[in-house]
Amino acid sequence: MTHGLNKPPDKTIRCEILSRFASDERIAGLNLHVGVVNGIAHLAGVVSSIEIRTTAADLVRDIQGVRGVVNRIEAPGAPSPGRSIILNLEDDKEKTDYE
Amino acid sequence: MQQSRLETLFTKIRHFENVHPETLERIAKVALPRHFDAGQVIYIEGEPAEKVYLLEQGWVKATRISQDGREQAMMFFSAGEIFGDIAIFTEREYPGTVVALENVDLWVIPANEFMALVGQDSGLAMAIIRRLSERVLHYIGLVEDLSLRNVEARLANTLLKHAEICDGQLVVPRRLWTTFDEMAIRLGTVRDVLSRALKTLEADSLLKVEKHQITILDPKGLARRGSL
Repeated sequence: MTHGLNKPPDKTIRCEILSRFASDERIAGLNLHVGVVNGIAHLAGVVSSIEIRTTAADLVRDIQGVRGVVNRIEAPGAPSPGRSIILNLEDDKEKTDYE
Repeated sequence: MQQSRLETLFTKIRHFENVHPETLERIAKVALPRHFDAGQVIYIEGEPAEKVYLLEQGWVKATRISQDGREQAMMFFSAGEIFGDIAIFTEREYPGTVVALENVDLWVIPANEFMALVGQDSGLAMAIIRRLSERVLHYIGLVEDLSLRNVEARLANTLLKHAEICDGQLVVPRRLWTTFDEMAIRLGTVRDVLSRALKTLEADSLLKVEKHQITILDPKGLARRGSL
């Protein structure tokens, strides 16, 4: 699914995320779940520390076409993956608006 | 042990009464049991759909993040429900994220196995058609609710839909996971707006909010609010 003219399709964004994860030794091998809908990246899975959880989201955030990241990765001390989500997409608009 | 658990589950699944016994045996052979703790993600939206899930125990919620970044509940599933099937029949990614609301036991069936069985057994195909039709009706109601009714009306309707008689009173029991946030997601709003709507209905003596339940004091009055 696409989410606007000149923006990469969700499948392309997902491939880029998977590629980045595979090439990062901290993330590769963790079998994180990755989904993209309307340019919003969704992450899930289990990691051993909140730093790795943050790293995964950071790797995704600056990928072209990513409007926001829903980070449901489980880690000690992290918020519940099932918590309610309200993304502040306005903050990301400047960064990802490349039309 | 696993066989008997599945046999019990099959009797709970609506419209499965005409599924051929051989089909059920085949499902039993390929289905794998999984457990998820409350709050754990079962699958996420945008992920390739490779499995169908039969829910044996517990509640899960299916939600989707809207274009503006807000989470909206699509469905709540309880024991005896099937989910993940819409995506495999459309050969697309999962359209929503499914999260366990309680400790959940379920059975996972590979999508290709399930598709093959649907093609071979008209009883299973008809069961799936009926379930998907019910889902369509649910979404028509959801669209109507979100587009035509305000939060107060949606809340009134939802409470009436889930009310049950207990000790001569009409009550909506609150499950552990029915927090303000969860109720807000269900109604397509945020907790502040939901809180105001509840207070308004309570101030008008239509209901009483208690710790473990909401008591409906004036069902007719609440129904009138639901039609606004």
